Amino acid sequence: MKTDLSPRMKVALYGLMCVLLIPFVFPTWWMVTSSVKPISDIFAFPPDLWPRRFDFSTYAQVFELQPFARQYWNSAYIAALVTAGTMLISSMAGYAFARIKFPFSNAIFMVVLLGLLIPSEVTIVPLFQMFLKWGMINTHWPLILVPIFGAPSVFATFVMRQFFIALPVELEEAARVDGLGRFKIFWTIALPLAKPALGAVAIFTFLHSWNLYLEPIVFLSSTQMFTLPQALTQFTDAYGGAMWNIQLAAATMTAIPVLLVFIVAQKQFVEGLAHTGLKG
Amino acid sequence: MAPVTLKSVRKAYGDAKVLHGVDIAIADGEFIVLVGPSGCGKSTLLRMIAGLEVITDGAVEIGGRVVNDLEPKDRDIAMVFQNYALYPHMTVATNMGFSLEHRGASKAEIAERVKWAAEILGLVPLLDRYPRQLSGGQRQRVAMGRAIVRNPQVFLFDEPLSNLDAKLRVVMRGEIKGLHQRLGVTTVYVTHDQVEAMTMADRIVVMNAGRVEQIGAPLDLYDRPANLFVAGFIGSPAMNLIGGEITEQGFVAAGVTLPLPSGTAARGKATYGIRPEHLILADDGVPATVTLVEPMGSETQVTMTLGEHRIIGVFRERLSARPGEIIHVRPDLAAIHLFDTETGARIG
Repeated sequence: MKTDLSPRMKVALYGLMCVLLIPFVFPTWWMVTSSVKPISDIFAFPPDLWPRRFDFSTYAQVFELQPFARQYWNSAYIAALVTAGTMLISSMAGYAFARIKFPFSNAIFMVVLLGLLIPSEVTIVPLFQMFLKWGMINTHWPLILVPIFGAPSVFATFVMRQFFIALPVELEEAARVDGLGRFKIFWTIALPLAKPALGAVAIFTFLHSWNLYLEPIVFLSSTQMFTLPQALTQFTDAYGGAMWNIQLAAATMTAIPVLLVFIVAQKQFVEGLAHTGLKG
Repeated sequence: MAPVTLKSVRKAYGDAKVLHGVDIAIADGEFIVLVGPSGCGKSTLLRMIAGLEVITDGAVEIGGRVVNDLEPKDRDIAMVFQNYALYPHMTVATNMGFSLEHRGASKAEIAERVKWAAEILGLVPLLDRYPRQLSGGQRQRVAMGRAIVRNPQVFLFDEPLSNLDAKLRVVMRGEIKGLHQRLGVTTVYVTHDQVEAMTMADRIVVMNAGRVEQIGAPLDLYDRPANLFVAGFIGSPAMNLIGGEITEQGFVAAGVTLPLPSGTAARGKATYGIRPEHLILADDGVPATVTLVEPMGSETQVTMTLGEHRIIGVFRERLSARPGEIIHVRPDLAAIHLFDTETGARIG
C-alpha cells in the first residue's frame, strides 16, 4: 500500500522508528564493539559507543582457550541435520494431516499438538534416562533426534499443515489425472509449491537448534562435543569470572550465521509467515 | 475416442444421496453437455467419470470397459478444471508435457506432442512462460493443451469458462467447439450456463436434484421440453409458465383466457407454456399491461402483466410502448406447451 506522507510526518515517523530501533540494535552493537575492547574498557562509565583502543587478539584467544572451530562445526552440522530432518518429517506429516483421510486424523493431530504444551524441562530427565540406556550420552544423537521428533517438529508440522490445507485441491486432482500417485503428488507438486512455508520452517528450526542450551548441558560432557551456546559459558578465568571480551568475541562469531540466515532468507521468512497465516 | 456409458450411477455421502441412478449413453465422438442448477450433481457425475469420486452404485464404462475401480490415470481421460489447475511452478511447456513425462514418453516425443498441441491452440510463443504470466484466456488454452497433448479417449470439462469475462467466454466457447470438431474426441462438458449448453452440445443432459430430467439435442429440448423443469431451465429469457385449467373455451388462468390449439383433448388443471419469442403483437390478441420495456437493438424485450400473471415477450419490432400502456399479444398456437401441473410432465 502506497501512502503519501507530508515531509514533516515523514521526519516524525523516521525519528520514531530510530528511537524504537535502539533496544534492538544496541545489544548487538555493544557485543561487537566490546569484543575488541580491553576488558577494563567494557564497563567504563560513561560507556564508549566506539572503542578507544582496538584489541583483536580476543578473537585469536577464543580458539586458543577452547576447541572453538570444532564446537562451531558441531553446532553447524547438528543444526543442518535437524533442519533437514524437520523439514522432511514436518512436510510429510503436515501433508498427511491436511490431505489424507484416515480414521481419527483430527484427534491424532490434536494429540500431536499437545506436545507443544509440554515444557522441555519436564521431559529432559526421562529423555536423559532413555538416551543413557541407548548409550547415546555425550554424543550428538539426542541433540539431533529430540528436535526432529519433538516440539520444534510439531510446530513445523502445524505450519506445513496450514499451508497444504490452503493449496487448491484441483492441483492434486489434475496430477492424479496426469498419472501421479500420492507420494509423487506430494514430492513433485505440493512440496515445490510449499517453498515459502518450508523456508519459514527452515529458519525457525535452524535458530532453535543453533540456540539450544538446556539439552547440550544435560547430554554433553566433553568440550570437544560441546555446541556453541554451551561453549560460550566456558570462557572464564581461574576463579570462574567471565572473560567478557573473549566471550563477546565468541558470541559475535556465534551470531554471524544467524544474521546471515536472516539477511538471506528475510523475504522467504515473511512470505512464509503470511502464507501460513501466522504472526511472528 | 470411445463411447461412455453410465448405468444406474448413484452417489451418496453417508445418508445424503446426491445422485439417484443416472443412465446416459454417450456415443463415440459425441459432445455431451451436462447442465443444471448448482447442486444438481452434474460436477459430481463428471468427477465420477474421471475417477476423482468413488461410485456408490452402478457402473461407468469407457470404451466398453467398466472403470469403476480404476484410478484416473488408468481411465485414459483428460480433464480441464474450472480454475485450470495449472502447476504454478512449471512453465507452459512443462505443464503440457507433464502427463507424458510420467507415462514414460521420450523427451523427443514429449517435445513433438507439446509443439503439436501448442500450434493448434496458438500457444507457441508462450511455452516458456509461467502460469502467473498468462491472462485468463491463455491459461484456459494451456489447460486445454494439457488435456489434448496425450490424445485421451475422453475429454472432461468442469465449468471451464466460468472464470472468464463474457466476451472471452464467447471466444473460448468457439475454440472448444472447434477443437472438438477437429479432434473428434468424446467430450463431456459441465456447465450451469444453458447458453453454453445450447451452443456447444450435440446433446444436452438436463439434470436436477441428482436426476436426469431430459436428454436430447439442444433444439429438441428447446422445442419439446419433457417437463416443467426443462421448460423453465432451457431458454433465456425463460419460458412463460402460467397455471390454470384446460376447458372447452380455452386455457382459463387467473384473470385471462388463452387460446389453445384445436384438437387439445386434455382437460383439467395444467400449466400453459409459451416462449417469449412466440408471443405475437396482434390487435385481436389478449390485452396485457406493459411494466418494463428493454430495447436490445435487434429485438425488444417487454415485461407485462397478463391477467394476474407476469410474463415476458420478445418482439422483433421496435416498440414505443411505455410502462402502464396496454398492448395486445397472441400466443403462436403452434408453439404452445402444456404440462401436467401435478407431475410436471408434458401433456401437449
